[in-house]
Amino acid sequence: MDSDQTSNKNKRLLIDTDIHNGIEASELLPYLSGYWHEWVKTRGLGATSAFYTSPIGVMRNDAIPPKGGAAGSDPQFLVEHHIEKNGIDFGILTGSGILTISLQPDVDWANAVVSAYNEVTKTKWLDADSRFRGSILINHSDPQFSAQEIDRVATDKRFVQVVMTSASPRLYGNRFFHPIYEAAARNGLPVAVHPGGETGGISGAPTPSGYPSRYMEWHNILPTNYMAHVNSLVCEGVFEKFPNLKFVAIEGGIAWLPHLMWRMDKNYKALRSTTPWLKKLPSEYIREHVRLTTQPIEEPDNHEHLLQIFEMIDAKNTVMFSSDYPHWDYDNPKMALPPLRGELKEGIMWRNAAKLYNLGEYAK
Amino acid sequence: MNALNPQTLKNRHAVAQVAEIPVGTHKIVKIPTLSREIEIGVFNVHGNYFAYRNVCPHAGAPVCQGKVCGTTLHSKVGEFILAREGEIIRCPWHGWEFDLLTGEHLVDEKMKLRAYMIETAHDQQNDHLESFPIETEDDIIYITI
Repeated sequence: MDSDQTSNKNKRLLIDTDIHNGIEASELLPYLSGYWHEWVKTRGLGATSAFYTSPIGVMRNDAIPPKGGAAGSDPQFLVEHHIEKNGIDFGILTGSGILTISLQPDVDWANAVVSAYNEVTKTKWLDADSRFRGSILINHSDPQFSAQEIDRVATDKRFVQVVMTSASPRLYGNRFFHPIYEAAARNGLPVAVHPGGETGGISGAPTPSGYPSRYMEWHNILPTNYMAHVNSLVCEGVFEKFPNLKFVAIEGGIAWLPHLMWRMDKNYKALRSTTPWLKKLPSEYIREHVRLTTQPIEEPDNHEHLLQIFEMIDAKNTVMFSSDYPHWDYDNPKMALPPLRGELKEGIMWRNAAKLYNLGEYAK
Repeated sequence: MNALNPQTLKNRHAVAQVAEIPVGTHKIVKIPTLSREIEIGVFNVHGNYFAYRNVCPHAGAPVCQGKVCGTTLHSKVGEFILAREGEIIRCPWHGWEFDLLTGEHLVDEKMKLRAYMIETAHDQQNDHLESFPIETEDDIIYITI
């Protein structure tokens, strides 16, 4: 047991690892060069949407600020409505409606947008409340530029990770993306992915067999993309090449992970000669380098079954609570998870996030 | 040709002539026991002999009928170093690689091929001289089981 687990028993925190802070396109203008102003005015953010839209709405109506605007777009209201109300000690901001900027075919436009957006995160959000922590948005279609952007923004230590959409025309272990991981590792930052862009812009079909018909069908199957990325990252040796790198799989589900780990380990026993850079079982890389967030948590009829899954994936060290505020499938921190105890509860509700993001007693 | 070893109650079986298994080859031999016949693969790896039961510890495949080959050494990402030619056997069913020098699976070293004591000696039934320090092609390969 870590010594800090006994000495800090009373310092329980609550950390929410997925809060969607909204943005209006016009907020980017002060941080964009003149050339792009007309683009913002006529094209908005330029972040491409998936085909699939929810008939019940993605945003919670009760999260619309009293002054109006998009849900989650007012820092003060977000603090009142979510941070204060739930007693959240730190909230990781992951952005809203802009993550898919990587899928914009015009990489120069996307690069301009991410740089401006990161400034908005800093001045509008991180300056607004000391409990907020930021994610450096990148355009994964231009890894060299992304690496520079990570170096530029990471000097502000309130940014605790890099974030990009999980939708991509390439699997994330591909060496095309390695400059991103190199820059993240150099700055001691994890790289997180968030779903929702699948089918948008330059990304392809959301399954190898094409397109689901409706939002529900599409939303059900999003975790297969997470399986594909995690599999790719391990097999392509990303965690051998960048041994300090952590990868955060936000909002992609959890219960698929035991299957993936076991299948990868089984195949590795026969096929290791094709990935000679791997020095241990694939599941060992996953346990060490991959972190998952809880929302939307799987809800089996028997909640013991979810606890068994937690055991299989060492959740006390790998899983982090997230609410997804202010989206429709929000998880209430007081009610979403089955009753947890001891190290498992501490790990999921705050300790794993505190360690990963250097928060609370883990602050450097 | 079989001699009982009174100390271990194991039998020493003559299984092949040295000339039958040149360097880089192997032969599957059958040894009768009281209850059944046991198949054993006899491998000549770089001039040293190894004997392994022809049953894969993973799923019971006839492992010694797999391909004898080399493998890739641990390397940097994106690099392939093919080496150890003739020192690896790949099980014909699931493709698990075993190190012929140790019997160990390359991923899980606790998963080992069943090994037997193997030695070569001059066939003393046909020759009454006491010792032949240099192996000859007429020598016999013995497995003690």
